[in-house]
Amino acid sequence: MELGEFLKGAAEIGKAMGVTLKHLGQKPVTVEFPHEDIPIYPRFRGRHELRRYANGLERCIGCCLCEAACPTEAIYVEAAENDPDAPLSPGERHAKVYELNLLRCVFCGDCEEACPTEAIVLGHDFAMANYERKDFVLTKEELLNPGMPKVIIRPE
Amino acid sequence: MTDNVTLTINEEEVSVPARTLLVDAARMAGVEIPVFCSHPKLDPVGCCRMCLVEVDGPRGTAMMASCTMPVGDGMVVRTDTEQVRTVQEANLAFILLNHPLDCPICDKGGECPLQDQTMRFGPGISQLIEPKRLAKKHYDISDTIVLDQERCVLCWRCIRYLEEWEDKPQLGLFERGNDTIVDIQDGRPVDAKTSGNIIDLCPVGALTNRVARFAYRPWEIERTPSVCMHCSVGCNVRLDSRTHQLRRIVGRENMQVNDQWICDKGRFAHAWVNDENRLATPQLRKNGKLVPVQWSEALAYIANRLTGIKEKYGADSIGAIGSGKISNESNYALQRFMRAVIGTNNIDHRDGGEVAALPTGLPALTELMKPQYGPDPEVDTVVLFGLDPSEELPILDLHLKRAILRGGVKLIIAHARKIELTRYGGPYLAYLPGGESLLVSRLLQAVQGTALSDEEPAIQAAAKLLKESESSLIVYGPMAARGENGPGVRDGLEQLAQAVGEGARVAYVGLDGNAQGCRDMGVLPDGLPGQFPLDDGDARSRLEALWGCELSTFPGYTYKQMLDSQEMRALFVNGANPATESPDWSASLEELELLVVTDLLPTETAQKADVVLPAQGWAESDGTYTNLERRVQRAPKAVTDPKSRAAPDWMIFTHLAKQMGTHWPFSDAHSVTAEITRAVPAYAGLTWEALGDQGRQWDSDSAPVSGASAGRTLDGISETAFGDAEYPLNLVTGTVLYDGGTLFSLTEQMHGMAHGATVTLNPADAAEFGLDAGSAVTVRSEQGNLDLTVAVDAQVQAGCAWIPESLPGAPVGALLNGSFTQRVKIERR
Ligand code: SF4
Ligand code: SF4
Ligand code: SF4
Ligand code: SF4
Ligand code: FES
Repeated sequence: MELGEFLKGAAEIGKAMGVTLKHLGQKPVTVEFPHEDIPIYPRFRGRHELRRYANGLERCIGCCLCEAACPTEAIYVEAAENDPDAPLSPGERHAKVYELNLLRCVFCGDCEEACPTEAIVLGHDFAMANYERKDFVLTKEELLNPGMPKVIIRPE
Repeated sequence: MTDNVTLTINEEEVSVPARTLLVDAARMAGVEIPVFCSHPKLDPVGCCRMCLVEVDGPRGTAMMASCTMPVGDGMVVRTDTEQVRTVQEANLAFILLNHPLDCPICDKGGECPLQDQTMRFGPGISQLIEPKRLAKKHYDISDTIVLDQERCVLCWRCIRYLEEWEDKPQLGLFERGNDTIVDIQDGRPVDAKTSGNIIDLCPVGALTNRVARFAYRPWEIERTPSVCMHCSVGCNVRLDSRTHQLRRIVGRENMQVNDQWICDKGRFAHAWVNDENRLATPQLRKNGKLVPVQWSEALAYIANRLTGIKEKYGADSIGAIGSGKISNESNYALQRFMRAVIGTNNIDHRDGGEVAALPTGLPALTELMKPQYGPDPEVDTVVLFGLDPSEELPILDLHLKRAILRGGVKLIIAHARKIELTRYGGPYLAYLPGGESLLVSRLLQAVQGTALSDEEPAIQAAAKLLKESESSLIVYGPMAARGENGPGVRDGLEQLAQAVGEGARVAYVGLDGNAQGCRDMGVLPDGLPGQFPLDDGDARSRLEALWGCELSTFPGYTYKQMLDSQEMRALFVNGANPATESPDWSASLEELELLVVTDLLPTETAQKADVVLPAQGWAESDGTYTNLERRVQRAPKAVTDPKSRAAPDWMIFTHLAKQMGTHWPFSDAHSVTAEITRAVPAYAGLTWEALGDQGRQWDSDSAPVSGASAGRTLDGISETAFGDAEYPLNLVTGTVLYDGGTLFSLTEQMHGMAHGATVTLNPADAAEFGLDAGSAVTVRSEQGNLDLTVAVDAQVQAGCAWIPESLPGAPVGALLNGSFTQRVKIERR
């Protein structure tokens, strides 16, 4: 091996080590998930939730428009009439059954777009692993009580 | 053709019949004109102004309402100009002024003409900033219809339907100008028997279906063209289903049968299809209790027991009861099983062998129909004998009313009650139950001119009408021709028709949805498939070759005889519930060695069975039904309950036949339909595919000729003694539309409409017995008693007590106990 080549190699290594050493002193860009939170952008589309009005009434009126808009048939809605003395939602109609199958969902947000009352929205929760397939079908109860409620409605 | 006119629509020449409305002419030419108030089956009113088009006239171009303007020769019409568009946009903006933004919660959303036309012809923007008018929302105008006055666009369609077709003006417009609303009259709910049609007619979601409220969205349902099975008119319907459930029924057009109308029972009473108590698994009685078992075990048990009983007591100790409520395929399979596998003619149904029927039903419903645009009815005089279409056949009732009001048809009514149709003032001939044939012979004498001079004026008026008529139709129903008197009534009516002359015809109509088909299939103790007598050589050899067996010539027991007889050892009951009809029958069903009940629900009869087999019903399996004018129609499978193990009847009997050593070549319902076309000559060619979705009438020339009745004397005339000291009243019974039968009563929303458990008396009788409406009484006959409440109505003749069949919790069978006439007395409770 010639000396020239040796020096060239050493210089390369030195350069590489330089990069390494330079970054050794900097803060890491990776996040210790799940011990640390990751930044989520406002328009991120994660697990859904069903919202309520400030007075506690459900926003969803069971109109089935989200179901119609969904490209993957992930949503199933069954509507019913409100008991005028104890309404679940404003007006005559509410969702008796609302099911959302996360295994089908492609998080396109069309449901949110279709909803006339801004009831169904996609939240920021993305950690949705589960042990049973059936647990991926969110019930109305689960959707109304999300673990990570989303406060802001998408700007557009 | 001379009566065609030629006009120009959008630069294209079109030729249409004279007097066509412009809006229809445009439709024929493929040009769409938006409308709200105009409807092809209602008189034009021209109140919504949506249909304005440009018409060139002598005084220049004008905007004209195309829905009220008949076409004229050489007319020049434009529907696509800037001006037309501006007017359409402005008009829609006006209509939407007070229209709420309800689409997401509105049941019409997705199939709403207002939505569609706003998208197609509307301005696309709204200038309205003022608050909208408020009015009544979710306002029940009956137990089945919800009105939302805010959504109404004041098109008059509902009002016009009730006036023009129902002849019951139960809705109207109130207030004026901007405050105009549609409402019921004097707070009385809409109760016309076909009121649901206004839901289909309403161009917006102002009138919606209370029973199917919020249960469907038009884009998520499957639509199956079918026919209604509640009565023998066989109206064409569409079944809307989702997630294996029947969600809603709407009318479907068939100009040969129901125009596009259906009655409220057919539209709303369908909860039984998805009722949670539907039988879903076979059950076998073990240690006195019915327990669920596998099909194989149930069928093997039946086959085994049947073989034993047949060996021990002979084939004629086994019988079967079919039903006018189940399909041709089910009835055919049942009778083939009895005749070919068991070897007996003990097969009948309610209103079967005991009723003196005629084979072909009505000549054609179209002969009695008066559509909005079409010829007058062919028949000019109708005699209803012991038939109350308003309660029994509501769409026939609708056709008749229209034929009377607009087609000049005359109506003669002979009935034990002064039924609703008597309001048209035709001759009303009263009789007492049992006095039918006497009345027929009096009418016959009046027509022949041999009546006593002091004969009742109504009879003379009826005879006069009949003699003047060129084409009369005498229609009788099972109530008039049951029991011993039946043949006398039938023969008498045939002789009456002969006496009237050329144009007169007689027809028998059954009441159940497949009453005609059940007879055609040979569910008769004395009739083979095709209604051929048991000794008809051709029919016998045809069936023997087809079935590979030898047929018994020994006439079987009728329905009543099977249930009365002590010799029956085993009985199949399909879709019938004789246990509720008579206390004696209820007891004798328990004496049987083997009772096999095939049904949809755990009926009283099923509770007594040794084996209960769950059947698939009308909405769950392919089947054909024959209506009262011999029209064979398809009712395809619309829903299937994935959890149920119920099977169609034909399949049950195919497997049972196999257990007993006979192989039937049926792989699906259509192959049974195909075999029927070979077994019944009149059904030749009427395969599943050939029937299409409008059905086909079988040729009445293929029916067996009934024995000439002219030579027969009118025997069996029995004068009913008018009251006796012990039991002063004649019991009058019959069918009411909203009864306590399971097919109706399982629809909860309609409970308020059901006929109460009442005995109705003439005001004079009520006064005589010191009873008022609402008195609690016990009605007694020699056979039993029944607790009821009194109602008072002049519709009931003096000396009669009217108690309809199958009232909720009050079976009139307790008084009749299997007989057809009884006298009763009434005691206060
Ligand atoms: S996000 Fe898209 S795929 Fe998921 S439920 Fe909504 S519409 Fe369906
Ligand atoms: S979430 Fe929105 S779109 Fe879906 S049914 Fe409820 S109100 Fe309608
Ligand atoms: S009637 Fe039609 S336009 Fe009006 S709220 Fe209902 S769906 Fe919408
Ligand atoms: S309720 Fe419907 S059918 Fe009746 S007038 Fe109003 S919009 Fe027309
Ligand atoms: S459709 Fe012509 S005025 Fe209403």
